[in-house]
Amino acid sequence: MEEIFVPALGMAMDNAVLLEWLKQPGDQVNVGDIVAVIETDKTTLDLPAETSGVLGKHMYAVNDEVPAGNTLCVVLAPGEAEA
Amino acid sequence: MTIPDKKTSLGLLRQMMVIRDFEETADKLSLRGKVSGGMHNSSGQEAVAVGVLSALAPLDVIATTHRSHHHTLAKGFTSREIMAELFTRSTGISGGRGASMHLGDVTKGHFGGNGIVGAGVGIAMGAALGIQQKGDKKVSVGFIGDGGMNTGRTWEAVNMAVIWKLPLIVVVDNNQYAVETFVGRVTGGGDLAKRAEGFGMKAFNIDGMDVLEVRKYVSEARERALAGEGPSFINALTYRYYGHNVGEKGQYRTQEEIDTWKSTKDPIDHFTAVVIENGYADQAAIDEMRASVRAEIEDAVAFADASPEPDISTIYDDIDSGKLGVQL
Ligand SMILES: Cc1ncc(C[n+]2csc(CCOP(=O)(O)OP(=O)(O)O)c2C)c(N)n1
Ligand SMILES: [Mg+2]
Repeated sequence: MEEIFVPALGMAMDNAVLLEWLKQPGDQVNVGDIVAVIETDKTTLDLPAETSGVLGKHMYAVNDEVPAGNTLCVVLAPGEAEA
Repeated sequence: MTIPDKKTSLGLLRQMMVIRDFEETADKLSLRGKVSGGMHNSSGQEAVAVGVLSALAPLDVIATTHRSHHHTLAKGFTSREIMAELFTRSTGISGGRGASMHLGDVTKGHFGGNGIVGAGVGIAMGAALGIQQKGDKKVSVGFIGDGGMNTGRTWEAVNMAVIWKLPLIVVVDNNQYAVETFVGRVTGGGDLAKRAEGFGMKAFNIDGMDVLEVRKYVSEARERALAGEGPSFINALTYRYYGHNVGEKGQYRTQEEIDTWKSTKDPIDHFTAVVIENGYADQAAIDEMRASVRAEIEDAVAFADASPEPDISTIYDDIDSGKLGVQL
């Protein structure tokens, strides 16, 4: 199971705002597909999947503030279920 | 290149594996926000650190840079105390006050990392002057990046070390980039050893991906320094596998360039092959070593995670001689 999370970048570990979900729970995703777009104080960032599988549930909604390090969703490999 | 005995060789290999695993683990934890202030990953540069430190005596001095986990591990500090420092915990090498860029312990000859490009050589030069004044049988190594080669203070320090014949060894941990800037684009004359020679010291451009080559050049430099012959300069060509700091994915180099260095020059793969060819280990022994390294790093993370943050009552400790009586 791959966790897609808000990366802590740079010196300060600020919150990010979730701008957009590009994949929905249950969607098939492939390596490199952009799953979500977030905005930090410096930049907007596309968050790609690094594995292929099925997207789990959205843990945040669009416009939510998400602390750096927190998981947004998981990508489930065949046979895996969400915790 | 003559290979050291079995125990020494396996020790060099294991130390490089510890650094790689430590860095890749810490990188992931940093992205998760576990490492205050981020960090600079040294993956790819293991042979420079291990080659240099294995040629030194335990109390020889080093001063280093913002990218210093590999030097600090190779100097013999534990993965536990370094991971705990990255997590800014009281059990860290600097008591949790320094984080990634300020690892150090002067009582053990580690004069610290720092965030000022080019400062390491000046600090090491000062330590070398102290060693000479006290008549100690020690040397001082100043690590510096290729970026630090084009700052003025570096060469002021080098010049003083030459005229005073100080026991200083300058080691360029030359990963070829200063953030996004390729060394070849900003280095007048191109040849760093020639530049250093111009100051009147022995200087070498060497293969920083070959742990035995680094070890050999540093051993010889150390002998010269102890014999009173003054400083040496070693430019060790290496490569940084990750971004300048955690999470940085710049457009300044190609994936192909990164992949080529990894697949043809990797210091751990290279030395693993040397060790196997010499009959010091078979593949099973290598796998076992890797597993023991994995366990060590997992233990370091668990230790760091379980350690307390520094107590607030200690906030004024270590900022003066203790005689000023500064209190919270
Ligand atoms: C005096 C100074 N100038 C600029 C910086 C910003 N800075 C931090 S790291 C870095 C690049 C250093 O490159 P290099 O010396 O090659 O070391 P590397 O990061 O490759 O290990 C720069 C410019 C700084 N910290 N200090
Ligand atoms: Mg560099």
